[in-house]
Amino acid sequence: MKKISLILFLIFGTGIFLRAQDKFYTKTGTIFFKCTKSPLEKIEATNRSATCVLDTKTGSLQFAILVKGFEFERALMQEHFNENYMESGKFPRSEFKGQILNNNEINYTKDGIYKTTVKGRLQIHGETKDVETIGTLTLKEGKIIASSGFDILLSDYNIRIPSIVSDKIANKVNITIDCDLELFKGK
Amino acid sequence: MGIKKKIFIGFAIIAMTAGLYGYQEYTRKNENLSHVKANFQIQVNALIKEFEENEKKANEKFLDKIIAVSGTIRDVIKDDKGYYSIVLGGDNKMSSVRCSMDSIQDDIALLKQGNIIRIKGVCTGFNADELLGSDIILNRCVIQKK
Repeated sequence: MKKISLILFLIFGTGIFLRAQDKFYTKTGTIFFKCTKSPLEKIEATNRSATCVLDTKTGSLQFAILVKGFEFERALMQEHFNENYMESGKFPRSEFKGQILNNNEINYTKDGIYKTTVKGRLQIHGETKDVETIGTLTLKEGKIIASSGFDILLSDYNIRIPSIVSDKIANKVNITIDCDLELFKGK
Repeated sequence: MGIKKKIFIGFAIIAMTAGLYGYQEYTRKNENLSHVKANFQIQVNALIKEFEENEKKANEKFLDKIIAVSGTIRDVIKDDKGYYSIVLGGDNKMSSVRCSMDSIQDDIALLKQGNIIRIKGVCTGFNADELLGSDIILNRCVIQKK
């Protein structure tokens, strides 16, 4: 009986352990964006509560943020962002679900900086679009720093800029992602 | 003083007041919550319960509101840019209230796991994930001394 229990543990128990060992995560990822058109006006904000999960075995990569978590320097800009542009009451979350295309080129057991190509679906303001971008994974002492920068168009996500402010707000938004991922040790 | 001159001065005062108000609004910063009264005072377990039982209803009640949450510190996290998050834990290991601390706070480094604390912040929503568990996120948080 003990032998059977041991065998079952080795089959299923270690399986669960290995699956947990494959996943890295954070709940304090940083996502920064800027869409400044005029040099006189700084339109940028930071969200420091992004969640991110990377499955190193499959290369699956997911991000999620609460839109209301973006902080601007000016309160009025933050209110306009939430109420008029992102409609965060109606669309509270934004998320990305994708894949590291060159995951097999990354040696997760060896420290180093690895270039990645990521492709997936980005959902903002209730609209979902395909995106593909490059980024880096920095492996250091058992942790992974995932970073990337890419541009999106507001018009792709049905976010309208009123003509009165179109000289200040650019349609092209530059997004920067910076996540320090640690090993997920299971529930 | 002629009537025209009085009207002109009246308009000038209104225009200046409106201009000043507009400028103040335009340059207004997010308020430091240290001296702002919380809309709700609640225990961490009670807050988590409200969101887990009915997220929609809890969002209507708490979203954008200032909440003072009391509970035990499960974790103090410092990111690579020096910003702190304090995690207040509930009875369930997979649920928490995550407080993204205002950069004005300078006494966070002294806090430790297990300390009982009251933190005040703006509720930005609820994140529920099958793998990572569920979290209520508070922003611009400050430690409430009393």
